[in-house]
Amino acid sequence: MRSLEITAKTVEEALEEGIKQLGVRKENTAVEILNEPFQGLLKFLGSKPAKVKLTVIKEPEEYMKDFLKDIIDIIGLEGEVISKVEENGEDVTLNINGKDLGLLIGKRGNTLNALQYLSNVILHRQFTLSNGRTIVDIENYRQKRRVTLEQLAKNLADKALRTNKEVILEPMNPQDRRIIHLALQDSRDVTTHSHGDEPYRKVVISPR
Amino acid sequence: MVKELVELIAKALVDYPDQVDVQQVEGEHSVILELRVASDDMGKVIGKQGRIAKAIRTVVNAAAIKEKKRVMVEIIQ
Repeated sequence: MRSLEITAKTVEEALEEGIKQLGVRKENTAVEILNEPFQGLLKFLGSKPAKVKLTVIKEPEEYMKDFLKDIIDIIGLEGEVISKVEENGEDVTLNINGKDLGLLIGKRGNTLNALQYLSNVILHRQFTLSNGRTIVDIENYRQKRRVTLEQLAKNLADKALRTNKEVILEPMNPQDRRIIHLALQDSRDVTTHSHGDEPYRKVVISPR
Repeated sequence: MVKELVELIAKALVDYPDQVDVQQVEGEHSVILELRVASDDMGKVIGKQGRIAKAIRTVVNAAAIKEKKRVMVEIIQ
């Protein structure tokens, strides 16, 4: 666990400085006051500064895991969160597994994406020095969605080629559009581009 | 339940969690949740172009489906 000892004029100042240096919220630390400040009889004679020890009790992985678990519990769903720190030491992957979690995924992953967005914002609010990202998934939804979209991309590319006409897909979020573009980027038969404004932006597949 | 959810998310987002307050106004078929935060924290629960507020509402709507109610989240100055 990371910890830090800080000396300052008052306990409050020492705490503030320590929290700044650790880049975490006070709620995620344990505080130990090593020395109360002491003022000598004469202001400069025999006075002692405050000294505190701050220990980080919750790092991003645990914080985000608890946060998502609390959400699941409050909504009244049955689920578990499995967390993992990625190889770069900063990104956190959070997998939620359980029963009837479709609600938390939402239409085309809408709710899941909202959860992931909030998780990322909160991670950086709570841990100001972190450069990590959180990836939230539910019952491997993202993996399954990718396979579905890649298949869809191939089928529609065939259609574009066969009919020699552009195929316009339904509106999709940026992540889903990216999967379609990537799936067809090496195709010799079709090209892809996106058209329109969010949230109605659509992928267009055109024959070469 | 939905009230707790808004509290949990808002407290994690703001600088002054002690000042997060959620009031529940019950209607016949809908619930209005009035979220109040410290004035310095307003931007932190709304976000650029309302992105954070929108994400909060999306998650809250999912929870509302389970309660079979229409829930509206209003951020109040």
